[in-house]
Amino acid sequence: MLKVETRERPVRFFEDFHEGQELPAVTRGPMMVGHQVRWAGACDNYESEFHHDEYVAKAQGLPGILLSGPLMASWLLTTVQDWMGRDARLLRFSDQNRGSTMPRDLAHFHGTVKRAYEQDGKALIELECAITNQRGEVTTPGSALVEMPRRGTGAPA
Amino acid sequence: MSATMTEPTDAEAQAFLDSLIGPLGEEVQTPVELGAVRRMALCMEDLDPIHFDAAAAAARGYRGIVAPWPLLWLYFFTCTIYEHDFPFGKATVHGADEYEFHEPMIVGDVITVRTAMVEAKLKHGRSGRLGQVVSERRFTNQRGELCAVLRTILFRR
Repeated sequence: MLKVETRERPVRFFEDFHEGQELPAVTRGPMMVGHQVRWAGACDNYESEFHHDEYVAKAQGLPGILLSGPLMASWLLTTVQDWMGRDARLLRFSDQNRGSTMPRDLAHFHGTVKRAYEQDGKALIELECAITNQRGEVTTPGSALVEMPRRGTGAPA
Repeated sequence: MSATMTEPTDAEAQAFLDSLIGPLGEEVQTPVELGAVRRMALCMEDLDPIHFDAAAAAARGYRGIVAPWPLLWLYFFTCTIYEHDFPFGKATVHGADEYEFHEPMIVGDVITVRTAMVEAKLKHGRSGRLGQVVSERRFTNQRGELCAVLRTILFRR
């Protein structure tokens, strides 16, 4: 296989974040059917044909192809990891499939630090995060809990 | 002459939902494969070298190449029962997901997936009767370590 050009996330520390901090918004897209096809391949799941066949989607009464909710949520989860850095340890994540994402939509990823605290010797950050589309509609609200390294110490065990 | 389908009463619908509680199918084992890890990491555009390079993963303290967490969806679709034949309502919507992350899944691991329905209730809202079911998938490695828990919330309208 060809070698993939890898890229480590920058290292970030608990001390780099504070409550109320808005994380840098990220835009992906426009979303394409190819993104959904790649997801179907990665999940070895082609059963819901409305996710990749417009004819089937419209025959089922949908406006067109809808990208998978878990695909969008997985991108949100990955974006949380990008924000929090190389040595952060994701502990929990949740999301809601509140709105649809269709081919040619944009996906804007937003995050805010809701809480930064210590518990049982761990430095924890709680995030609120969401995907909005080009109309400003929230399609995928979520939240995450991340254990962070402290400046001057190693990565969380 | 066409057959007329009648919707079950609330009591019948709740009895059906109650019958879902408990294990769903047998436990299933699956290897964590290098190609699957690579496909999912590329799908997520997650280029962290720990997903591609054993030496890079070892340098960060991992036993081997680390699976990105969205790979849980491969095992969701290929190892578990995720569709239910509800005797009421017209459509099932994948509403939300909650994840817990514990030990990383490493290429070469064998993951045991256990699925159970943990919650099933009937609600009444403005749009009428709504069934809400929560299934839980637990992912454990060959060392007996819990890697992740994924709770999926479906709505039946």
